[in-house]
Amino acid sequence: MKRLPFLLMVPLFLLCAGCGSQQEASRQFFAMDTVMNVTAYGPHGADAVQAVQQTVSRLDGLLSRTDADSEISQLNAHAGDGTAVAVEADVAQLLRLAQDASGLLPGTFDVTIAPVMDAWGFTTDDRHVPTEQALSDALALVDGSALVVDEEASTARLERPGMEVDLGGIAKGFAARQAEDAFRAAGAEAGILDLGGNVTVIGSRPDGGAWRVAVKDPQDTERYLCVLSLSDVTASTSGGYERYFEEDGVRYHHIIDPRTGWPAESGLLSVTVVSADAVLADVLSTSLFVAGEEQALDFWRGREDIELILCTADGRVLVTEGLSDGFQPAEDGGYSYETVRR
Amino acid sequence: MRPSAADRRRPVWGDGLVALLVAAAAVVLLFLFRPEGGNFLTATVVLEGETIARYDLSALAGPEELEVEGAAYPITIQAEPGRIRILESGCPGRDCVHTGWASQAGQQIICLPNRLVISLSGGASDDIDAITG
Amino acid sequence: MSTSLRRLTRCAVLTALALALSVAEGLVPLTVLFPLPGLRLGLANLVTTYALCRLSGREALLILVCRCLLGSLLGGNLMALAFSLTGGLLALGTMALLVRCSWLSLFGVSIAGAAAHNTGQVLAAMAVLGSSAPLVYLPPLLLCSLVTGAVTGAASTLLVHRVPDLGAIKS
Repeated sequence: MKRLPFLLMVPLFLLCAGCGSQQEASRQFFAMDTVMNVTAYGPHGADAVQAVQQTVSRLDGLLSRTDADSEISQLNAHAGDGTAVAVEADVAQLLRLAQDASGLLPGTFDVTIAPVMDAWGFTTDDRHVPTEQALSDALALVDGSALVVDEEASTARLERPGMEVDLGGIAKGFAARQAEDAFRAAGAEAGILDLGGNVTVIGSRPDGGAWRVAVKDPQDTERYLCVLSLSDVTASTSGGYERYFEEDGVRYHHIIDPRTGWPAESGLLSVTVVSADAVLADVLSTSLFVAGEEQALDFWRGREDIELILCTADGRVLVTEGLSDGFQPAEDGGYSYETVRR
Repeated sequence: MRPSAADRRRPVWGDGLVALLVAAAAVVLLFLFRPEGGNFLTATVVLEGETIARYDLSALAGPEELEVEGAAYPITIQAEPGRIRILESGCPGRDCVHTGWASQAGQQIICLPNRLVISLSGGASDDIDAITG
Repeated sequence: MSTSLRRLTRCAVLTALALALSVAEGLVPLTVLFPLPGLRLGLANLVTTYALCRLSGREALLILVCRCLLGSLLGGNLMALAFSLTGGLLALGTMALLVRCSWLSLFGVSIAGAAAHNTGQVLAAMAVLGSSAPLVYLPPLLLCSLVTGAVTGAASTLLVHRVPDLGAIKS
């Protein structure tokens, strides 16, 4: 009888030996109006995941437009009254980056787009097509050059009353950059930061290979467009399918063309930008979506630091050549895949 | 005629052997099913950080509906063999309902106003680490 | 009392006992402690073991089938009948073979019986669902059957040695 309990425990030991070999720490949390999933593999994983959440939550507190006490809300509240609002050094840096980004593809991205977003109700619960008057009033307030940032003094101000800053197109990229630094500083070497679809892959998979990141099919979010093999980059996607509403049978999405004030109609369904620079990836995915296929590819040809996946409304998936290694198209998704060369 | 196993009052070495054989069968089966694991898709429903439901989508016999209790806006989840979606939601925007069905591991359906996340795991037929978009 | 009447009576008594045990077990389901579909202690198997040791294989079979049929009439449904019958028959077959082995005690026999019972249930579930999905539950069920089998094995050892031989009771 004495040996029986021992025998019964043998399979339990075998079970434990099988599952404990790979350390993995992962956490899910809400921030920046989206869901964040952070996973770290290997030693220091738990610390790294914690550090990422702290970093992102801190930024969320500073940048939120819904929180009246945030620095961005303060900046918006003092629009036009001449006050230079004191901001954290990294917020000033982010505002500067956002301004610089407006210059990448002029007219396709503007950090002061907030009044137009508000006119459409995308920032509130009540989404609707604005009246012509409301839209032109809002559009008149969009002017990135009227945002004055003093990085040395760590202040910023908006020159005209009613202007508002919305960092929606860049904040997640900036958070990813800081989060990656925090992740590495905590001593972790491999993992994935998924900040609401902005995916930053760090190091390599536990099996030693590149990370496999799927790109959502904009026409059927149940499916993938393709799978990319990536390491130490950020992949950021913008598409009209993410947030939209329907009115009188017409679908209106949330990526507004700052030139017209209307949802961008560029013939693209989604744009994915892959870059080692998370801020660039985030801001360009929006910018290139607004710009359209031709301008996006021209822009890509002029740079070495980005790669693109463009999904067009006529069913083509354009993949720039830097992504062709390990590229895996979806099986019968009804798309034709083309590799774009420089 | 009495069967001989019934005569014993204490376990013998043969019993250990039987136990070992059963355990070995279990371990072999685990080993066979683990790495592939692929065909078993699990959907986890998390409301405000707490897991409130888990569906074994591959093993589901028929459609199932769940009216989430304690959500800020009324929300109904529908699970079917192999897939899951948010059927109806009273939240503003209804982005979660627009998301439609999720059927592959790694996918998520999110209802932000309700702070509700449905995540799919296990299937990984394509072995994907993350999804952008 | 005639032999056939005596046989009928003791089968009836044992069937009633098995039924009572399985109903009692249903009142305190193990699955509350450990959420695994199909997990149970298998107390009714005690009666099967007893019948195998003290009566005959034929009577054990008769008791088992009666218990399953009555059990599904009492509270279950056709689905439950398919599950319990498949599991029960497979367990009975396995135990009937093993109980003859002199190198085993009732512990080993019961563990094998419990494992066979779980295997049968999973097979029935696979047939009903038309899918191999229930197979995932088999390994944990098998591991649990080591424990439940040992418990019922201990109980049936006591039962077989302490309870007077029903076959020898004279009227």
